[in-house]
Formats: sequence, structure tokens, C-alpha cells
Amino acid sequence: MQQFAQGATDAFSELFERYKQPIFAFFRRRLADPAHAEELTQETFLVIVRGASRYQPRALFRTYLYAIAFKILRAHRRKQAFRATFLGERKSTHDPAARDATDAGLFVRQAVAKLDRTDREILMLREFEELSYAEIAGLLHLPLNTVRSRLFRARMALRGLLQAPAPSAAPKLTESEERA
Amino acid sequence: MNTAATHSAPEEIMALFDHELSPEQAKSVSAHIDDCQECSAMLANFTSISHDLADWRVTPVPQSLATQIGEAAKHSKSLGNLRTPNIFLRAALWTWKQWALGFGLAMATLLLVAVMSIPNLYRSHGTAQTAFLASQGKSGAIASLPTASHDASREALSKLQERQALAEQLQRSESDMQMSTSPIPGPPPLPQAPMIARSVSLSIIVKDFPAARIALDDIFARHHAYAADLKASTVENSARSLTASLRVPASDLAPTLAELKALGRVQEETQNGEEVTQQHADLVARLKNSRETEQRLQAILANRTGKMSDVLEVEQEISRVRGEVESMEAELKNLNHRVDFASVNLTLNEEYQASLGIPPLSAATRLRNAVVSGFRNAGETLLGILLFFAEYGLTLAIWLTIFALPVFLLWRRYRRSLASI
Repeated sequence: MQQFAQGATDAFSELFERYKQPIFAFFRRRLADPAHAEELTQETFLVIVRGASRYQPRALFRTYLYAIAFKILRAHRRKQAFRATFLGERKSTHDPAARDATDAGLFVRQAVAKLDRTDREILMLREFEELSYAEIAGLLHLPLNTVRSRLFRARMALRGLLQAPAPSAAPKLTESEERA
Repeated sequence: MNTAATHSAPEEIMALFDHELSPEQAKSVSAHIDDCQECSAMLANFTSISHDLADWRVTPVPQSLATQIGEAAKHSKSLGNLRTPNIFLRAALWTWKQWALGFGLAMATLLLVAVMSIPNLYRSHGTAQTAFLASQGKSGAIASLPTASHDASREALSKLQERQALAEQLQRSESDMQMSTSPIPGPPPLPQAPMIARSVSLSIIVKDFPAARIALDDIFARHHAYAADLKASTVENSARSLTASLRVPASDLAPTLAELKALGRVQEETQNGEEVTQQHADLVARLKNSRETEQRLQAILANRTGKMSDVLEVEQEISRVRGEVESMEAELKNLNHRVDFASVNLTLNEEYQASLGIPPLSAATRLRNAVVSGFRNAGETLLGILLFFAEYGLTLAIWLTIFALPVFLLWRRYRRSLASI
């Protein structure tokens, strides 16, 4: 990143190659519409490009990247909620990825969707983005011990949900489950 | 042996699984897990959950997205954005604090622009009107009026039009009067120039108050002005002031004002010119008629004979008309005086400079007074708040009741939408 900030174009290509899939997956797992996930992925990397001159290596680049992605995600959610509330725009419920997912994958998604919102976010940041407790605490502005206890609670709750008998055939996902 | 007492905490096992323990702690917990089936099962649970979550796979990044980002990055670089810090990265990323700050700054800028531009607009508008009047060759009359303000210019224009109509009327009445062969002594000659009663308000701050007072008397003497009313006040530990209502000969008004302004720094100045030509002409005409009436009544009394009651009635009428004539003469005199002598309301304020002196009160007394004053102020503030709510509380409650439900419903809907995304 420092090389890119100093003008090395190749450095950005390398960064992009390394992080494009994790960032896309970050958005894809949290948004129903794949087009939105693509758009926000693009936005994240553009913010990186535009803010390169102000980058200071105070933390891992990965933390910096996910912090930007998380901010963009929150802004997107606020915007969507505002539009749904005040402009009456209907939320997208169609999730093409659900058709491609396996039954096991859908079952996991259903279970994760049932978790508390903050617990779910902590669990996903740990399991999928593989952030440390400290990084998660910094990202969500929570105390470290809170992150740890909530992560434990989320895992225990998820274990209970996953051990419950799975629904028979192709389960019909609710709106929020589809998004999760 | 109680094994439960030696169990590792479940969160410690989870931290071991997540590689979040220090090497010493990790070694200790690992050693325990190797010997404890229960804790080992707990660790296996975490592994199982991670394994299950791994089933949630995501499709690869579309190739088109990679191309788009590459192009966008090149475009950004070509614009030189890499080297230029951009605080407005994207409005959508702003927090509510940034939005509030931005909105506040925008409103402050708007207010500043309005405050700076509105007086300039008024000034330029007034100047444009004055220039227009001057270009019409009628600036002589306008010059006697304050031209700085827009209202004054508009007033000057309307008065100019009135004056033209009045001049024609006066010319007609003058010719009528010249044609009459009445032996009655004629009224004072009608004014050719417009008659303007001027009044000026002047507020001046002076450094040397006694010297200014002496200079003021000198100005009175040189310009034959006099003070109709004068009041000077000297309060201890505060600036001295003088308020005077002056009468200055109209011909000497300009030099008198110039000398008054030289006494100190002008804080405020207002000039007004009241057009009284019409009023004067009306008064002259009415006076002339009354005198003619009186003359005719005198003739009746001298030449006619009749009953005593009729004679008394004529005398009463003569007396009434005489009263009217005298009243109008006094009014005319007053009007002429207003035109001849401009009225100047002068306020002289001393530029107060605190003198160094020993405080009359001791420190303890001053402290006590300050505390008492503080309590009084606090009480006044509380009372003010109570009075505010007593006066407006009910109205506020009504409006809150009206708006609370819709706002609450919208807020709940927003929160639900946010939670469901």
C-alpha cells in the first residue's frame, strides 16, 4: 500500500488481486443483491485509490481495508433503509446466489440469519474475514471482552441452530434470511 | 479430585481455537484439553461450527468488475487524485456528525453571504436611484436630502414630483392675487424655492469631554445657533454624556455639522428634510381669505345700520375671524422658523477610560456580592425557564403530540428497514 501511495501502479494491481475476492465475499454475504455487492466492492477500491495519499500504516492494511468496506456497507444500509422508509422503494428480495448454493450452505445461512445482529456480525468477521478480536473490537467500537463474550454466545447459539433438525426439502427462505 | 475446578473457561478454549491466547496461556490450555474430554469436546464444537460455516461459499468476482475497477483506478490516477487529499471522499460515507457539521457550515456560510451582500445591494440600489435623479437635472433638491439610503431616494423622487405640481399651483394663485385690486395688505410673498424643514440627528463619541463642551459653545456662538434643550449627565465610574436639541440657521447648517463632526468620532448620523412648501402655500391662502373676511365684516359694521343684535353678531364673527387669523399667523411664523432654523439632535458620549483606583469594596465584600449576584442570576434563569414552559409549554405539548406519533412511526419503520438489510 505504501508503494502504491508513492505512485507504483503495479502495487495497486497486486493489492486488488489479493483482496478482490475477500472484499467481494464480504459484501456478497451481507447483501441480497449481487449487483450491490459488486458496486460496493468497486467503491471500496476506489476509496483506497483516492485516499492513498493520506494512508498511514498505523494498522494492518487488511484492517484498514475492512474498515472502509464496513463503513461503505453501513452507509449503503442507511441509504437503503432511508429509501425504503421515506421514498417507499421496495427492497430487493431476489437472491440469485441462493439458487446456486448447496442445501448445506442454505441451512447455514438460515442459521446465521437467526442470530442477533451484532453477534452475527462479530461471528462473520471472525469466521469469514478472519479478523482478530482486537480488529473486530476496533471496527465495531466494542470492548475487546465484549467481542469475545459475544462471539462465544454467537457460536453457541449457532451450534444449537445447526444441531436442530434441518427442514425437509428445499427450504423457503424468508427475506432477512435471504439477505444474510 | 474435582476436575470441574480445573476446567478451562469455555471462552479460553474458544480463544485457543482462534489463536488469540499468549503462548504461555495457549500451552496451559492445550495441556488441559489434552487431558479433559469435556473441554476437548468443546474445542471440537468450535471446529465443527467453522467447518459448517465453510459451506457458505461465495461466487468468484466477476471479471467485468475487475476491469471496471482497473479503469476507474486509472481514471482517478490520471486526475491526480492520488496526491490530493480529498476530504469529501463520498457523501454517503459521512456519519451523522459529519452531516451535521457540513449542514452547520453551509448555513453559516449562507448567513455570512447574506449579511455581507444585502447591505451592499441596498447601497448600490440607492446610489443608482440617486444617480438617475441627478442625471435628470434635479439633483439640487435631492442634494439637500440624505442620499445614502434607498428610502430617502425614493422619498426625494416623490417630493420632486409633488414640488413641480405645487409650483404650478403657486404660480396660478400668485397671478390671481396680482389681478385682484383689494386694498387688504397682501400676504407675505410666496416662496420661489422649495421650503424644507431640516432635522439632523447626530451621535458623536469624544475623547476629551470638557474640551468638546467648550468647543460646542463656541460653535453655537459663531453660527448663531442656540440650544432649545440641553442635558448633561455625569455618572461616577462611567462615561459622561450630553444630549442637546439645537436650532441652527439653515444657511449655516452644513458648516455647523462639519464642525460638530470634528469634535470626535461620528457614531450615528441621520438627516431628514421635510418639504413644507405645500403646507406653507395652504396656510398663506387660508390667511388671505380670513383677512378678506375680516375686512368685509369690518366694512359691514362700519356702513350698515340695523338691530343691536345684528351688530353684536357681526362683532362676534369679527372676533372669531381675528382669532383664526392670529392662530394662522402664529402657525406661519412657526413654519418659517422651522425652515429658517434646522433642528439638530446632538448626543455627545465620552469615550470612557477606566481610571486606576483603589476598589472601594474589600475583596471579601466583592466576593460575597458576586456570590449573591450569582445566586440571583441562577434564580432568574430558573424562573425564566419556568416562565417559558408556563407560557409555551402547553403549545409545545400540543405540537409534540401532533408530531410525536408520525415521527415515532417513521423512526420505527426506518429502524426496521435498517435491521432487515
